[in-house]
Amino acid sequence: MAEPKNVVVVAEQLQGDLQQITQELLGAARGLATKLGVGVTCFLLGDGISQLAEKLVHYGADEVMVADDPSLKEYTTLTYRRGVIAMLEHLGAPPPIVLMGSTTIGRDLAPRIAAHLETGLTADCTELDIGDYEHKGKADPTKTGTFHNVLYAIRPSFGESLKARILGPWKNPQMATTRIGVMQALPPDPSRRGNVEKVAVKFDPEDFRVSVVKTARDVSANVNLTGAKVIVSGGFGLGGPEGFEVVRDLASIFKDSVVGASRRAVDAGWASYAHQVGQTGKTVRPDLYIALGISGAIQHRVGMANAKVIIAVNKDADAAIFKFAHYGIVGDVYQVAPALKKALLAAKLGKAA
Amino acid sequence: MLKIVVFIKQVPDTGSKAGVNPDGTIDRARAKRMLNPFDKFALQKAVELKRGVGAFVTCVTMGPPPATEVLVEAFEHGADMGVLLTDKRLAASDTLATAYALHMVVRHLGDFDLILTGLQTTDGDTAQVGPQIAERLDVPQVTYCEALSISGNVLSARRVVEGGYQNLEARLPALVTVANSATPLEPKRFADVAAVKEFLRHPEEREKRIKTVSLDVIGANPAHAGLVGSPTVVGKTWKLGEIGGSCALFQGESVEREVEHLLAKLASDGHRITELVNG
Ligand SMILES: Cc1cc2nc3c(=O)[nH]c(=O)nc-3n(C[C@H](O)[C@H](O)[C@H](O)COP(=O)(O)OP(=O)(O)OC[C@H]3O[C@@H](n4cnc5c(N)ncnc54)[C@H](O)[C@@H]3O)c2cc1C
Ligand SMILES: Nc1ncnc2c1ncn2[C@@H]1O[C@H](COP(=O)(O)O)[C@@H](O)[C@H]1O
Repeated sequence: MAEPKNVVVVAEQLQGDLQQITQELLGAARGLATKLGVGVTCFLLGDGISQLAEKLVHYGADEVMVADDPSLKEYTTLTYRRGVIAMLEHLGAPPPIVLMGSTTIGRDLAPRIAAHLETGLTADCTELDIGDYEHKGKADPTKTGTFHNVLYAIRPSFGESLKARILGPWKNPQMATTRIGVMQALPPDPSRRGNVEKVAVKFDPEDFRVSVVKTARDVSANVNLTGAKVIVSGGFGLGGPEGFEVVRDLASIFKDSVVGASRRAVDAGWASYAHQVGQTGKTVRPDLYIALGISGAIQHRVGMANAKVIIAVNKDADAAIFKFAHYGIVGDVYQVAPALKKALLAAKLGKAA
Repeated sequence: MLKIVVFIKQVPDTGSKAGVNPDGTIDRARAKRMLNPFDKFALQKAVELKRGVGAFVTCVTMGPPPATEVLVEAFEHGADMGVLLTDKRLAASDTLATAYALHMVVRHLGDFDLILTGLQTTDGDTAQVGPQIAERLDVPQVTYCEALSISGNVLSARRVVEGGYQNLEARLPALVTVANSATPLEPKRFADVAAVKEFLRHPEEREKRIKTVSLDVIGANPAHAGLVGSPTVVGKTWKLGEIGGSCALFQGESVEREVEHLLAKLASDGHRITELVNG
């Protein structure tokens, strides 16, 4: 059997819905595959999900391997681990690159697969590329050499003040998870054709040591932070839970908006974790981000700095948030937010008239 | 009694300016050190189980000798034993090599029911070490765990997922990575702090409570540890440029005027904010 050359993507679906991260991964994989002159293979796991294979092809897969099995109905670490390992074994030899999403599934599964294969894994990448690498290190002569067509797994480090390029050319697959909302999905192309192959998974009784008792999604009243066009976020500067009334009130005038929060506001119990934006919350990219009483700590910034327009309200003119917001008002949230609401509604009416 | 192992790491304090080089990297020798904030949630869960159903809590850290400081901190919060894995050959370990070394510490310690780790570290920041330890030990795992309880050999856990949560049941032994939305670490109790002060004064007591081990002691293969055992290296780093710096700031007028000027500026910059407004 020939060495598998394709870039592999592990798709994510929930109850038959492809998750956006999958399209992003396929977009990233196509970029790498083009540079390597190879194709993209997508692994799809679940129960009654075979019909999704076609969609994966439209988004950039050349080949889809499907494990469709009642045991894969709900994601659990050990059953999906078994499925992915079965597919990798089915390829006959390790592929050059395996990509997964930096989701609660990808970050759960990818390290298990990497440890099983004893290969390298780079977490939460924001850029991927292909290039050459010359390793000189004296400390470990076994690694020395020049390597071609190496995966560059690029990620922020040291609290996002630096970017680091992580390399692992010594062993295949080179693995990475990618940050949600960062890689660009390709527009779907319904004329694309690809191979679909079923793979049977043989489970071990030990794979069922964890069972899902209950799953509750969208419990926090549709906090769709990553999809919303407008996010109005509140921070510790609101002074108390009642401050989020002001935040919600401003958010309510926008068509597609959700309420966000800084970690300090979440830690204080004024908003639930589902609303948290930042390094340990969600990474968001709305058209408009309004930050109310948020200081702009680096861990918050990394979650929202890619918003198209950032407006900050803070009573401290020296607050860090004004270093990267596009617009700012120095003042008290309790005065500025209602005034902003009023003016926006008036402007809207003025336009309509 | 439950046997719990908690993995805790000493990390540079990125919040303090001391010890940060001009290029943004950390001068680990000069940086202030602290217990990885995420690991406090894991420690809290262990101490809760100890006080609830009864447990023997062993905290394990891998790092240079000053890392003993985080073990002492863990004792002050109620841990029963501390293990420092320290060895020059561990330098430059990536997550795979770290997980290899840490799982060998668990093997060396013997039986266990539950392993707790933080969700991630503030310096490595990968959230990989926990699951990689679980894989090496061939135990089930629950990551992003917010709440847990134990009954017999079954762990019931609540796991954070996108847009909600999941209730899981896992057979022990198992590994859990604790989410930062779990209960925060309670303040130290006076009696615990006093007891730690006391045993630290007696070298034999101290040695009984804090074990320092090397790769040889735990029977680990040095070929799987440190630089040689790491499949990845950091090839290159760049400083991220200061972003922005061109904020249009409105201040010093009445709130109404400031808002008016803001909206005018947004419009003249071509941002059609009103199109996002209802109506
Ligand atoms: C490992 C790690 C991970 C983290 N992850 C995240 C994360 O994911 N998301 C996150 O947000 N943070 C995160 N943090 C925390 C982060 O470092 C900051 O502590 C946090 O973002 C601060 O929140 P804040 O801006 O709401 O509060 P503060 O820093 O207290 O700022 C409040 C601001 O409000 C202003 N203010 C006060 N009163 C008013 C008023 N009446 N009107 C207007 N302005 C007012 C003040 O001038 C101040 O600037 C993390 C920290 C660590 C160590
Ligand atoms: N050197 C270490 N010593 C002890 N525990 C560690 C070490 N490195 C990582 N861990 C544990 O693994 C978790 C995840 O770390 P990381 O994968 O580096 O983000 C941490 O929260 C710790 O519980």
